[in-house]
Formats: sequence, structure tokens, C-alpha cells
Amino acid sequence: MLDGHLLLGWLSFTVIVYLLNLPGPTIAYFGLTGNEPLSVLPLNSLPEESIGRAHFKLCDRLKLEKKQRRMCRRDPGVAETLREAITMSALECQYQFRFERWNCTLEGRHRANILKRGFKETAFLYAISSAGLTHAMAKACSAGRMERCTCDEAPDLENRKAWQWGGCGDNLKYANKFVKDFLGKRSNKDLRARVDMHNTNVGMKVIKAGVETTCKCHGVSGSCTVQTCWRQLQPFHEIGKQLKQRYETSVKVGSSTNEATGEGEISTGRNQQQQQQQQQQPLPGLNDQIPRTMDLLHIEDSPSFCRPTKYSPGTAARKCYKDKNCDAICCGRGHNTQSREVTRPCQCQVRWCCYVECKQCTQREEVYTCKG
Amino acid sequence: MAGAIIENMSTKKLVIVGVILLLFQAFAFMVGGLIAPSPTTAVHYLATKCVDKVKKPQQTKWFMPWGEKKCVNIQSFDEAMAKGIEANNIVFAVHIPLPNKEMSPWFQFMLVILQFDIAFKMYNQIADGALVHIDVGLAYRDDMNSEWTEMAHSLEQRKLSCNFTATKTHENEGRHYECDLLPFMEVGSVAHKYYLLNIRLPVNERKKINVGIGEIKDIRLVGIHQNGGFTKVWFAMKTFLTPSILIIMIWYWRRITLMSRPPVLLEKVILALGISMTFINIPVEWFSVGFNWTWMLLFGDIRQGIFYSMLLSFWIIFCGEHLMDQTERNRFSIYWKQVGPIVFGSFCLFIFDMCERGVQLKNPFYSIWASDIGTELAMAFIIVAGICACLYFLFLCFMVFQVFRNISGKRMSLPAMSKARQLHYEGLIFRFKFLMLVTLACAALTVIFFIISQVNEGHWHRGEHMVQVNSAFFTGIYGMWNLYVFAIMFLYAPSHKHYGDEQSSIQCITGDAGVNSCEDIQPTTTITHVDGPTEIYKMIGQEAQE
Repeated sequence: MLDGHLLLGWLSFTVIVYLLNLPGPTIAYFGLTGNEPLSVLPLNSLPEESIGRAHFKLCDRLKLEKKQRRMCRRDPGVAETLREAITMSALECQYQFRFERWNCTLEGRHRANILKRGFKETAFLYAISSAGLTHAMAKACSAGRMERCTCDEAPDLENRKAWQWGGCGDNLKYANKFVKDFLGKRSNKDLRARVDMHNTNVGMKVIKAGVETTCKCHGVSGSCTVQTCWRQLQPFHEIGKQLKQRYETSVKVGSSTNEATGEGEISTGRNQQQQQQQQQQPLPGLNDQIPRTMDLLHIEDSPSFCRPTKYSPGTAARKCYKDKNCDAICCGRGHNTQSREVTRPCQCQVRWCCYVECKQCTQREEVYTCKG
Repeated sequence: MAGAIIENMSTKKLVIVGVILLLFQAFAFMVGGLIAPSPTTAVHYLATKCVDKVKKPQQTKWFMPWGEKKCVNIQSFDEAMAKGIEANNIVFAVHIPLPNKEMSPWFQFMLVILQFDIAFKMYNQIADGALVHIDVGLAYRDDMNSEWTEMAHSLEQRKLSCNFTATKTHENEGRHYECDLLPFMEVGSVAHKYYLLNIRLPVNERKKINVGIGEIKDIRLVGIHQNGGFTKVWFAMKTFLTPSILIIMIWYWRRITLMSRPPVLLEKVILALGISMTFINIPVEWFSVGFNWTWMLLFGDIRQGIFYSMLLSFWIIFCGEHLMDQTERNRFSIYWKQVGPIVFGSFCLFIFDMCERGVQLKNPFYSIWASDIGTELAMAFIIVAGICACLYFLFLCFMVFQVFRNISGKRMSLPAMSKARQLHYEGLIFRFKFLMLVTLACAALTVIFFIISQVNEGHWHRGEHMVQVNSAFFTGIYGMWNLYVFAIMFLYAPSHKHYGDEQSSIQCITGDAGVNSCEDIQPTTTITHVDGPTEIYKMIGQEAQE
């Protein structure tokens, strides 16, 4: 019995050591959590090519895994959608964290370093990128950008028959399936990998939970004898907001290394006792240890993000809002106040698209930036 | 006579008939639940924002959202802002259906719902009572390579009713309004394979057109059509039911005409019920597969309306004819008070339907709900129809109550009556109670299944099989009312057994000699003499005498 423990502990220890030595994140996920630089951004920089296998090039540029590349190449619409998913989640992440110390800096090594750890921020990145992908996929489906979408898999003729006989499933179902396939279900024994997986799933679940069913009556004279319902996605902003809330209430999954066995223990703060009891038995499928919740999980406490570290460029010279977040953002270092004349559009007349007619008003404005 | 089949049938036979009908009923439910797919499908479409030429906007060209001749499009309006594209150059294009699919005449109808995604901006909020002016064109083609042919073009107005749940502050900028669904288009037949919608939202500041409608981010459409599989099952059912009702109807009428007396009102009404059922059953929809008949939807509504009003009238008259009071009936004009609301109510609904679906024959984008006057008018029609329905039900309930009161009165005096009269009244009461029970059961079943189909998500999983509750509801209820009409025509047809008796009794009366000997067999004549006409069948006797 003891030997078993020892063996298991040793194994997990070596796995962790091994993984820590790996370059880049442990699992090549996608989007904000993938190991590719987000150079595909911005969206518009790419020339619109619709001939032949232009999307192959794009798929290659995204630095996908083998299986993901195959899925990407299968349909010219996928590449574009993947790109859109990245933009969408990146923008949303930055929007949600615009008042925080960590403002979702995505470029360079900072993101990669965060992904190597198990912070709350890591959890958010995983969740928002899977949510973004699901959302973008469902949207692409309904925009007709994908060649195969809801009536998937079946050969062409059967596909058509299925559509004529009973319609196809909704695009959300398809998007969910695609994302699950795309991100892959890996059974991993490493705690962090499992937490990442969990957070990815949370992203998808939040999308699923936010679905609203809308109905339309169209019976005789518009009565409700015949009614058709469909499921509708929430706007991505709402999803981002919910994930941000989940980020704030993220649950720590402690991984304390037991001296005797060297076994990685996992317990949530809430039910540590219970979890430890469960720990008594050697677990072949370690899956049960992750609580089945919709909460985001993290393993370690986040750094302060105040000073430049490998996780963030620090908050020096960050713009902040007085009386609101300057104290928090500047980490007590105080802020500089700069008074400037700003010319701003005001009293705008806006049309629904693309045209704004404004007067230019000059205002004196105070700009606050954090001290270094 | 008093001899409907139901009275003279032995209990055993009645049970057999009931079981057979129940089997058919179960079959009807199963056809819908197990064979048919769900009745309708909703498909999401996200409009692609195409860019018309900036300099000279073309009105006639059609813009494709995807495919080989894809239009020049933009992802978001921020991009448009940067490129200096104006609102009038943006065309929202939606291709129905999605890639690699095609529409089919089996889809029967297509209705499209419009939804705007409008983001909240402090400086660009939705004005109160904002109207969207939509310039929309619909085109079709039947193969991927041919040119688009215009089907309809219209300038429409829709009222934006959106509300913003969060507080209207800077922080909440970018969040979306919650907007009501807008009815957009309804086409009564899907004769073509591909449809294309091009939507423009032109801005004219001087005329205040499309000003103050907020920051539109996207246009989403939901296309609803009937599933081909469901249509096929439905047609098959109709095709099967038509001859069965038709045959029983002919059989029923032959029985009536075989009698020497002219048919009474109740018998005529039952026949009318049968005719209206056949009218609804006749599967003229088969033609819609071959021909482009857009009025089929309206025609279906009318047929249903006729059947419903016939059924409601039938209940009233049936109750009236079983009232067993001392008034003379057997004339349709007696029932004008009760039938009037039905006729008036269905007429109102007919007018409403003509205003909506009738106009849609000309302009598929028309909606009576889009304008204020239209909404009020439509509401007025519906409210009047509702009042009529309430009135009707009051009448019906009152009549049923009266019948029951009379029944209990007659029950009391039954033992005092002669054997023949006793039998006669018992028959009458039994007949009434039977119909009452069956009708209530049918109505209850309809309501229950309606609720189940609304509450459920549309299908149940039973292991590997999926039970389509909605389809089961439609086929089951449709089958049920068919069986109901069938059963009424069968059970309330004059019976052969008494038929012979009646002839002999009439002979008695005309012979005038054996009145006493006939009395035992045929009570009507005696009652007529004793206490005047008590109910219809005595009337017949009297008429025969004359």
C-alpha cells in the first residue's frame, strides 16, 4: 500500500518536473491560451482571399496542433472563424480588465508565462478563449460562413435528405461539438492540466447556460396553436461579464505536497476535510478530485502585477481614474496628475452607421497615471 | 323512432367500436410521435454586411453573403467608419437557406423574423418610439448559377421596442439592448430553391428617416418553415382520412334518406359537420408541391375556421335538440342567438386573417402589427372575436345546465311513465350523456396535449428513440377530431332495427285503426296527443300524421 503511494507520488512528481521543463504551456490550447503569438491580429490586416486553398495558409499561420489543423483545413470558413474567435476573446478580456492591475496584456512573453502557472488570470484566459471560440463558431454558422455546419458529418446526399425531412440541429449544438472536438478531451493526470481543462469547460458551460429560448406563435391567424422555439446566444459582452464575475469568485484548488508520500493533494478551501478523506484511497482516475462546479479554479495565488515581472509589465505609467481605482492600480505608489487641454467630440449627431457629426469641444482634463 | 344506432347497439358492440377508435387514436399519436420529425424548424441567419459601391449605389444588383459571387463585405461598422462607408452603401444580405442546402416545396411556408442587435451608446441612444425604415428586396433562383429574379420589393416600417436593462451609464456602453422580435416576412409557398434577402436601412436626415435608432451592430433573422417530413406525414394522414370520412358520410346520408320522413335539423347539422371535416381533410395541399400557390396558407386558415365554427354550432344545436322542454325546435332560426356569436366571431377572425395573410399574398413583408392603426384594428378584431367566444361559451354552458336540470326532472318522473316513454327518455338521456362525455374527453385531451407540447422542449428521449411531442400533438389531435366526427356520424345514424319499427308505427298512425296497439312500440304519437310536442321526434310523428 505504502509502495503504491510512493510510486504514485514519485510519478506525479516527475511528471510535474517534466512539465515544468517544457517550453510554453503544457497543453497547446487555442486562442489566448495557445502558444502562438497573437500576430494574426488585427483582423483586417489580412488580404481577403477566397480562391483555392488560401485558408490553408491561414491555418498554418495559426500554429495549430495536428488534429486542429486538420479540422481547420476541412472547411475554408473555420480559419476565418478561429481568427475571429481570437480577436473577440482578446478584446473582451481587455475590456473586462481595463480597470484592473492586470489589464490582460496579451503580447509577448507575459501571456505565455501566465499560462505556465495556475493563477486566477490563467483560469480566465482559458475560459474566455473557449467561450469565444464557441460563440464565434455559432455565429459563423448562422452567417453561412461555414460550408458544413449543422447537418454535419453525413455524406452530401444524406445530409440533404436530413435537411429536407426534419431540418438540422441548431448551430449552438454544432458549435459546442466542434469546440469540444477542437480542444480535445485529454485525460491528463497533471493537476494543472486538469484545472485548465476544467476552466475551458467552464467557458463553454457559461455560453450554454446563457442561452435563451425564444418562441414565435404562427398558428391560425397567428395564434399559439403552432409555436416554434429556438435557442439564442447572449451577446458576448454578457458572457465576458459573467466570466469576470467567476474570475472574482474563483476557487483555489490547493496543491500541497505531502512530505511523506510526495503526493499532490487537491482540495478546495471549502471541503478540505472531505477531500482529504477521499485522498486516502489511491486514485487511478484522478478526475474526481476537481469539484464539479461552474466555478473557475486556480492553483496558486496571483502575483500583485504591480511591478514589472515576467507576468506583466507592471502598472507604472498606467492611466487610472481618480477616486475610483488609482489607489488599487498604482499599488499605493501614488499617481501623477497631468492637466491637459483635450479636444473632444461633443453634442454628436449620430446615424446608425458610420457617420458621426460632432462639435469639437475643448475641455481641460486631468489625466492620472501611476508613478513608477 | 328514437332509434339511433348508439341506443340499439349492444354494450359489447359499443365497446368493440370504442376500442377500435381508441386504437386508431393511439395510431394517430404514434404516427406523429415516432415517424414525423418536429413540425417546424427555425434556422438562424446572421446578415452579412455588404458594401455597395461608395460612389454610385446600385439598386438593382443583388448582393450575395457568401459563395462564389460573394459581395465585398465588412466585419464591423468600425471598419466602415475607417473606410468612409456610409449607411446608404451598406446592404445586409441573407441567403436562405445556409450553404449546401436548398429549400423545397415540402416546406409549405416560410416566415422570417427580424432581430436587431443594438449596442447602447451614451450619445446614440434609441429614441422613444423609434421607427426603422427598411428597404428590402426578396429574390429567388432555382440553380446556383442563374441570375436572381426579384420576387418582392418593399419599403417597410417597423417599430423598435427595445429596453436597456442596465443603467444608462458610460460603463455600460457597448452592452446590447433587449429588443422584441419583429415580424418580417411571410411566404405562403416555398416553390424555389434559393432565396436572397437584401436589406438596406437608408438614412435621410431631413425626413428623419432612420435617425435615432441606436447603434446597430448586426441584423439577425430567424427563418421558420415546416419540416418536409412532417408535411409528408401530414399529407399521408389527410389522404387516408378523406375517404374514410367521406364513406361514412355517404353511408350516413343514405340511411337518413332511406327513411320516409324528411331529415331533422340535428341530422342535417351532423351532415354539415361531416362535410366541413371532409373539406378540411381533402388534401389539396398536394398541389402546393407542384404549383406555386401562395394562397394555400390562407385557404388552410379558412378551412379550419369553417370547421371550428361548424363544430361549435353543432354542440349548441345538439344541446338544444336534447333540451326536452316544451318548445318547438327543429328549425335553425331558433338558434340564431347562439350561433350568431360564432358566425360573427369567425367573421371577425376572417377579416383579420384577410388583412394579414391576404395582404401578404401581394406583399410578403406586410404585417398588420407594424403600424399603430393596424395594431389597433387587429386588436379590435381579436377582442371582438374573444367576446364572441365568451358569449358562446356562456350560452353553451347554460344550455348544458338546462339539459341536466331537465334530465334530473325527467328522471324523477320516469318511474311513473309508461314503459315505452321510459325507454324513449332513457335513450335520449343516454345519447346526450354519451356525447357530452366524449366531447369533454376530446376537449380535455386537446387542452392537455396542448399544454404538454408547450411545456416540453418538443421531444422526449426514450432510449434511442426520440418522441416528437409537438408532432404527436398535431397528428393526434387532428386524428382525434376526425374520429370524433366519424363516431358521431356512425353512432347517431338512424338504426336499422327501429327503422323498421318506425315504419310500422307510422303505418299505425296513418292507418288510424291500431293506435292502441302501436302505442307500446312508438311513444311519440301518444305523447303528442297527451302533452303537446315535447321534442323533435314527436314532431316527426305529427308531421307524419299530417
